[in-house]
Amino acid sequence: MSLQKSVKSSGDRSEQADTTSICSSVTTQPDRHGFFGGAQYSPEPKRTVSPSTILKREQKWLRMLDNWEAFMSKNYKKVRERCRKGIPASVRPKAWLYLCGGQLLLEKHPNEYEELLQAPGDPKCMEDIRKDLHRQFPYHEMFIREEGLGQQELFSVLKAYSVLNPKVGYFQAQAPVAAFLLMHMPAVQAFWCLVSISDKYLSGYYNPGLEVLQRDGDILHALLRRTAPAVHRHLVKHKVEPVLYATEWFLCALTRTLPWDSLLRVWDCFLCEGVKVLFKAALVVLAGALGPAKVRKRACGLCETLEVLRHPPENILGEEYLVYHMQRLSLTEEDFEFEHQRQTARRRAMANRRSIETSL
Amino acid sequence: MTSGPYNYSYIFKYIIIGDMGVGKSCLLHQFTDKKFMADCPHTIGVEFGTRIIEVAGQKIKLQIWDTAGQERFRAVTRSYYRGAAGALMVYDITRRSTYNHLSSWLTDTRNLTNPSTVIFLIGNKSDLDAQRDVTYEEAKQFADENGLMFVEASAKTGQNVEEAFLETAKKIYQSIQDGRLDLNAAESGVQHKPASPGRPLAAPPSSRDNCAC
Repeated sequence: MSLQKSVKSSGDRSEQADTTSICSSVTTQPDRHGFFGGAQYSPEPKRTVSPSTILKREQKWLRMLDNWEAFMSKNYKKVRERCRKGIPASVRPKAWLYLCGGQLLLEKHPNEYEELLQAPGDPKCMEDIRKDLHRQFPYHEMFIREEGLGQQELFSVLKAYSVLNPKVGYFQAQAPVAAFLLMHMPAVQAFWCLVSISDKYLSGYYNPGLEVLQRDGDILHALLRRTAPAVHRHLVKHKVEPVLYATEWFLCALTRTLPWDSLLRVWDCFLCEGVKVLFKAALVVLAGALGPAKVRKRACGLCETLEVLRHPPENILGEEYLVYHMQRLSLTEEDFEFEHQRQTARRRAMANRRSIETSL
Repeated sequence: MTSGPYNYSYIFKYIIIGDMGVGKSCLLHQFTDKKFMADCPHTIGVEFGTRIIEVAGQKIKLQIWDTAGQERFRAVTRSYYRGAAGALMVYDITRRSTYNHLSSWLTDTRNLTNPSTVIFLIGNKSDLDAQRDVTYEEAKQFADENGLMFVEASAKTGQNVEEAFLETAKKIYQSIQDGRLDLNAAESGVQHKPASPGRPLAAPPSSRDNCAC
């Protein structure tokens, strides 16, 4: 369920005469993230951190990136703390590449990306990728031109991945992730980051069957029961299953979900701490949107509840609110581990039961 | 969304299915917002839309589930077939492969819905007649052989989009009138809301009945 999309459709409603909703507002000047319009467009300037603080942070990050191995092995907590504060925009691309291990993969396989591109690729995969090229952030300066450089690079990155990992091939949820990475770094780096995210961070999410996604939906649901029992009860009562609202959140790692500034901050944490960051963000959005009893009372049905989750109040999606509350969730590493084990065992038992039933 | 409680008497659940890129989300958007969304992002998982229509003087709320087309999503979208009163099965008239896959979509639909589910076949992108890859006649024949309703439509121009959604509703409504569709069946895909505004219920309404869902 996309929160970005909803912003746009509400804008569309205001232009009555137009029957083709190309975009609610297209400007000639992109915003600071490169968007000319669309749901992600945010023209207002951002001033949450003072320039002198940014400068200090940049210097710290540059020092850290120069001594990366040492920091990661001996002072991980410091890295994590700095990621949680937000990585300065100027060093973010390099920081992401280092954080997710893309840099290591790139050093280990220096020519592999180009070699993968030489392969013909599975025809069905190539066809599917082509169908999706024009549908990724079409108002971003990189992707606005049909068959422009951005779309060509997107094709290359997705193709190379499908050749490298034929078991996954191409899955539609990878396209926004790859496009998002390409906005920040050259194609070869974006490729290795995508490899790392697909195979390590979101391991199993893109496999046929989507078992891991469904299990993680169950884990999210179980964690919600601890962090926001009233919201959990509401979702159970109206049969709002995680797969209905969280599929896009997880599969696209929130790239199609959050406002842009918040997305960047959440990704700073995600690439440092892993997939549990996505869970935390999801829990904060759920609790923020459905927390007030008044809202739950009004949203007394499946569709009404989904509608609320599609349009949560703007303030809870703001970067400061989101990142602050993600860290305040009273969930330990053990809680995640416990639920992970429990839901994995539960699904295994269910599968066993099913196979026994069918063999009878 | 709805403006208040009880302003419709039925809820019909629909699903929209078909290969990726055939225009499922665009059809839904054209029907609910009367607009062509040129930049429609591909659906990840399941999306939904609603609209209230009128059939034979009865207000009916359509609750439409729009599914992702890529094969891999079927693992999660299959569960939404259950309890659908209407299924809109979409192919792209300019891409034969999307037409060739219809039998697989149909098998899924037949297996996972109930016999009274109305299946409507839509050949989308009728505005692109010059690039046509599937003739009207052969699709019509396929529809007849399988007992499906059929139109060619265009989510871009809006041609026949209303018709497809409304004809499906009429057929469902007819099934209710004929008694072929059992409203009490758990997965009929239809809910009846007998009360109307201002008319008191026999029993005091619970909070559940008070809402517009």
